[in-house]
Amino acid sequence: MSQSRGITITKTGVPIYAIILLAAIFVFGLFVVGYDQGHLFSVIMGETAFEELYLHELTHDMRHAAGFPCH
Amino acid sequence: MVAGFFAGTIHGLANLAIVEPYLDEAIGIENQNLFASGEEDDTVQFQVEYESYRIWQKGGQVLAGAILGTSIGALFGIVFALSRKILPGNHHVKKALVLSGIMWFTIYLIPFLKYPANPPTVGDPDTVVLRAILYLSFIAISGFGAVGFYQLFKRLEKSKRIVALIGYGVFISAAFLLMPENPDEVTAPLDLVNGFRATSVIAVSIFWISVGIILGAFWQKYNPDKQIQTNTTSKF
Repeated sequence: MSQSRGITITKTGVPIYAIILLAAIFVFGLFVVGYDQGHLFSVIMGETAFEELYLHELTHDMRHAAGFPCH
Repeated sequence: MVAGFFAGTIHGLANLAIVEPYLDEAIGIENQNLFASGEEDDTVQFQVEYESYRIWQKGGQVLAGAILGTSIGALFGIVFALSRKILPGNHHVKKALVLSGIMWFTIYLIPFLKYPANPPTVGDPDTVVLRAILYLSFIAISGFGAVGFYQLFKRLEKSKRIVALIGYGVFISAAFLLMPENPDEVTAPLDLVNGFRATSVIAVSIFWISVGIILGAFWQKYNPDKQIQTNTTSKF
């Protein structure tokens, strides 16, 4: 006599690559909004980026309101 | 991340509604100081340029909220995925709200109490790097401290878990006292500074509540926990 049984296996592990990717996104976003003073755009614009501060100005109000030191 | 994006957008809109009047007032004082010192002249050209970049800053606030929200949502997603089994509640929204409350307290409120948010006009540009390091360091100390005591919490019997909570309290109190103070004096009117700080806390709290509800609702609906149905056959 044969009997069929169903077994449900629940996998709850979090893939390590997902954790690394999400952690990288966290660090990058935090840097953009909280800390960039022209660093990212300087890769393309050079020293001008530190004077124009496009990202700094874009995130200025959120930076203050979220508690980051701004200037 | 999606939950963080939406919650961050809500945060940006909340800032526009309740924090922005204080920012406008503070920047108005900054401008008056510039005119008084002779660094700038109160001309039509100055006002045109000022209005132009203020529109950029105000509009950017919502985008910045979405970026910051996405990044914090990524962190929140990691922590929720790793800790959801031990979080209290039988619904993922409740579990996510408990976690968002813990993270709000440990990586926002405690650092805020030590280094509260300041409006423009407060802060010496020469100390901005030091202040940024202090703020980020205290967030890291509080956050990693919470993770460390959470590990202890998991290993203790239920009746002894209070030890881990007290341990975190002692640890963070010591860090609070040992960390250097913000080196800058607050020179702006106190009504402005206090109003700004109060509305800032409300807006950030709206973010944490939103991210908890949205991520919990997504998790409940789409349940990313993989379920593999395996059929086995046995003979008797």
